[in-house]
Amino acid sequence: MDLTSKRFIVAALAFLFLASLLLVAYQESKRLRGEQQLDPVVTALNEGCVDCHRRDSPALVMEWEHSQHAIYGVGCVDCHGANQGEVDAWLHEGEYVAALVTPLDCANCHEKQYAEFSQSHHAKAGEILASLDNVLAEKAAGMPGNNADAVNGCWQCHGSIIRFERDEEGQVITVGNENRPVIDADTWPNSGIGRLNPDGSKGSCHACHSRHAFEAKLSRSPENCGKCHMGPDHPQIEIYNESKHGIAFYANRDRMALDTRGDWVLGRDYSAAPTCATCHISSYMTPNGQYTANSHDVGERISWTLRPVVSTLLNSVIYQDGFKEDYPDTRELPEIGDTVETIEKVVENEQLVSRTVPRQVARIVTWEERRQVMKGACLNCHNNTYVDNFYKQFDDLVILYNEKFAKPAKSIMDDLTADGVLNPNAPFEHHVQWVYWELWHHEGRRARHGASMMGPDYTHWHGMYEVSKHFYDEFLPAVIEAARNKSTAMGRKYQQRVDALLAQEEHQWVKGLSPEEGEALREMYQQRYNE
Amino acid sequence: MAELQEKQSSQAGLLHRVSQLFPFDWELVRQASAEPVPYHIKKWWFCLGGTVLYLFVIQVVTGIALTFYYIPSPDQAYQSIAEITQDVRFGWYIRSLHKWASNCMIVAMFLHLLRVYFTGGYRHPRQLNWCIGFLLLGVTLTFGFTGYSLVYEQLSFWGATVGTNLAEAVPLIGPSLAYFLRGGPEVSENTLTRFYVLHIGLLPTLAFVLIFLHVLLIRLHGVTELKFEGEEVPEEARHFRFWPDHATTELLIGVLLMYLLTIMALVFPAGLGEPANPIQTPEHIKPEWYFYFNFRLLQLTSLRVSVVFTMALGAICFLWPFVEEWLTRKFKVSDRVWVMVGVLAFLGFLVLTVWESFV
Amino acid sequence: MDETDKSSRRDWLATVAMGVGLGLSYGVFALEGLLFLLPRQIKARTRNLFAGKISQIRVGGVRPFFDLEGNEILLRRKTEREFQAFNSTCPHLGCKIHWEEEEQRYFCPCHRGVFDVDGKAVSGPPADGNQNLTPVPLQIDEAAGVIYIEVKAASRRRT
Repeated sequence: MDLTSKRFIVAALAFLFLASLLLVAYQESKRLRGEQQLDPVVTALNEGCVDCHRRDSPALVMEWEHSQHAIYGVGCVDCHGANQGEVDAWLHEGEYVAALVTPLDCANCHEKQYAEFSQSHHAKAGEILASLDNVLAEKAAGMPGNNADAVNGCWQCHGSIIRFERDEEGQVITVGNENRPVIDADTWPNSGIGRLNPDGSKGSCHACHSRHAFEAKLSRSPENCGKCHMGPDHPQIEIYNESKHGIAFYANRDRMALDTRGDWVLGRDYSAAPTCATCHISSYMTPNGQYTANSHDVGERISWTLRPVVSTLLNSVIYQDGFKEDYPDTRELPEIGDTVETIEKVVENEQLVSRTVPRQVARIVTWEERRQVMKGACLNCHNNTYVDNFYKQFDDLVILYNEKFAKPAKSIMDDLTADGVLNPNAPFEHHVQWVYWELWHHEGRRARHGASMMGPDYTHWHGMYEVSKHFYDEFLPAVIEAARNKSTAMGRKYQQRVDALLAQEEHQWVKGLSPEEGEALREMYQQRYNE
Repeated sequence: MAELQEKQSSQAGLLHRVSQLFPFDWELVRQASAEPVPYHIKKWWFCLGGTVLYLFVIQVVTGIALTFYYIPSPDQAYQSIAEITQDVRFGWYIRSLHKWASNCMIVAMFLHLLRVYFTGGYRHPRQLNWCIGFLLLGVTLTFGFTGYSLVYEQLSFWGATVGTNLAEAVPLIGPSLAYFLRGGPEVSENTLTRFYVLHIGLLPTLAFVLIFLHVLLIRLHGVTELKFEGEEVPEEARHFRFWPDHATTELLIGVLLMYLLTIMALVFPAGLGEPANPIQTPEHIKPEWYFYFNFRLLQLTSLRVSVVFTMALGAICFLWPFVEEWLTRKFKVSDRVWVMVGVLAFLGFLVLTVWESFV
Repeated sequence: MDETDKSSRRDWLATVAMGVGLGLSYGVFALEGLLFLLPRQIKARTRNLFAGKISQIRVGGVRPFFDLEGNEILLRRKTEREFQAFNSTCPHLGCKIHWEEEEQRYFCPCHRGVFDVDGKAVSGPPADGNQNLTPVPLQIDEAAGVIYIEVKAASRRRT
């Protein structure tokens, strides 16, 4: 090989070497851009806790290490630290701590979230003690001395009143050499969202933001809401799963950016599907290129209430101190600046009591305004016509249920009580009371919720079909039966009442379809099934 | 014109004045580099010695760079390597170069040794240079052993432990040698410091001296001219110039090595295992591959037997030119026998190494 | 063009190509080596630690907390939007200093060392030795209303 060729080879190799060095530089720049993984921080304050609890409850500590709290050095004592004299506090290894972390503890840092949450329906979930649901759990299903159905059922979603074991003088009983106060086992553990805490705060952040990793993706997932929003009386998660929204979510979970740090914005971070959080509380993009703030006030964007016997549109009245009340559109709104007697439920001596507080009206948000906020989320994917027409479909179903079934049924029930057929203190004495209860509380809600979140089968077969079947086939006969039990005359009165009702246009079909309709029906079955 | 002349003469004057500051006869360099090189050196396998030297230079350069960040203390050694690998710019690259060049250096050295053996380059009068070369092999392996231990990850820590335990089995001086290496009865913070000093101070000095002697002896003896069977080389092509002909070849090898090492660094960057834990022996301990044959031997025989055997083998190899001479004289064996011996020894080494790598 | 010319041109080209190639490649290599030696790391190895909410400290108020090494840090809200933090270890002999509200100063009881609001030693032994308080860098996230102290990132510990 001559010298010149050798030089060419050296040149070629040199350029190959250069290329490999550039690859090295590229690799290096890629590495520099990569995010640095930060380790959890155990601050001096928490070192003692972590040392023992890493041994005693290793998975708990591991979960915490997985949290953003740990990355910023927020640890055990920052949340569990308590003051001497607090009912749930005891001196543990040199620090006053409490096992119970309440929303007020979280509010040390998350003030805005606490304020929003505290005025939400979620915070009031524990105030159900005077409801029929409660009667069913404590009376129908329970027995004196054993409240297990309410404890394991109702309270695990709605929240318990945290109580302590006390001696005859009312002093909290303590155990162990550290004098740890003993919590009433019926009331704790409890992660119900409307828990009533000893410090007066309402709710439990852990209900949605499960400890100790507090992962955002968990609270953003629909399954999280599905813990409570499910079942015969409010099958929201089942409806969601049935809906186009739910289908899109489960298919595209990997594109949902559920792990996004900070604000999780529809139209910026993800587009694949809305979750429960997306529509009800999360941020979304608006046409001006900004995005809305999320809100921990969960009912803010709801325009109908679909819970009571008869649905109403909901306006809201916000008072000077942030207290908030829903006003059904049937109730007259106050003027801004008016002072109104408001009813507030508070815990006194570990019992829930009502308190009347005069408050000054600061702001009124109408149901139209609330709906507009919800529509903002819809408009990220759909156009105005689409959204407006959806609301028309939804509104029509609620009105149909209200007018055809709910209002007549309610009016009959009210009259039965007025006529002394039903005893207001015996809510589940007669068959008609059970039927009526399921008519609105189960079937009627299923129909309305189904329509509100695009679940066709829940709207019809689990919903309106059941409502109408039971209305005609069980409710109306049971009305007459209950009245007859009272007296023959009363039976005759309600027979006439039912006949008059069935004579109305919308109920006439029971006695026979029109000849054309009947013919069409026969033809269809002939064609389809050759019957 | 006159101006130009004046300027030229002043320039010459300046050059003269500078050369006075460093009174060296540059003619010597010219002469030394003009040494005619025999034709057979154009074959690549005669450049393996140069390859080793080039790799040694890479090791010196990257090694010095790494000492800028390395902290030879048991608490911080692993941490500092992690920082080099993760935080320092191009740290992973420099460290990978150092790692791969060390492996390549040992491979090149073995190949160089085989070449010298099978071309008979160690025979009279060049016996002494074989011995020096063999010492260089020893120094290089020690470089590898100490360097690997400096990483202070689990495997390298326990490698050091096993290595110094082996030293203990050396007859007579073993215990004191092991005690000296570890700086105490067991592997401790002293051991790391000692290994560090060996790796960056003692061994490099020794290597420089030996390399100098090695090259000096080559030049003093001159290179044997080899002729291969069936190869016709015209008289005027019997030699070529060191400069620029052979120098370009070395340059070529150098750039090729840099390229290959960079690719190795990119594809197989030096990793980092678990940090050393003196309390817990890992389940599988293995030394670097160049100690595999010894490690296998150790498992086949007892500690003492294998150590004594290795030492005897080392001594025989070290003094091979003289041993061979003596044997040839005594038993009148032909060259073919020595070729066979070489092949068998190499195969033995290969088999043990491959065996160990599959266990 | 005759043969010699052609071969010398080729020779020249080879030499230039080799020279440029070697110069560039070893040049880049040297540059990367130099960058290796320059003591700059990927990111300053610091991280933010939660120190409190802005709303929890009144203007003029002091809030103590501990950093990762267990040093007590005194965080003080100087004005509405200005915060300062000092290591509470006296630079003189390592006693604990504290904030004196009435005097508007940091005070070390051991040798009556006095530091002004900005941590500058004004009297006592620290002033003689010109030993000021060690400031601790802060990161204020006004949007979230959170104060972080900037600390050296702890070593990557494997647990």
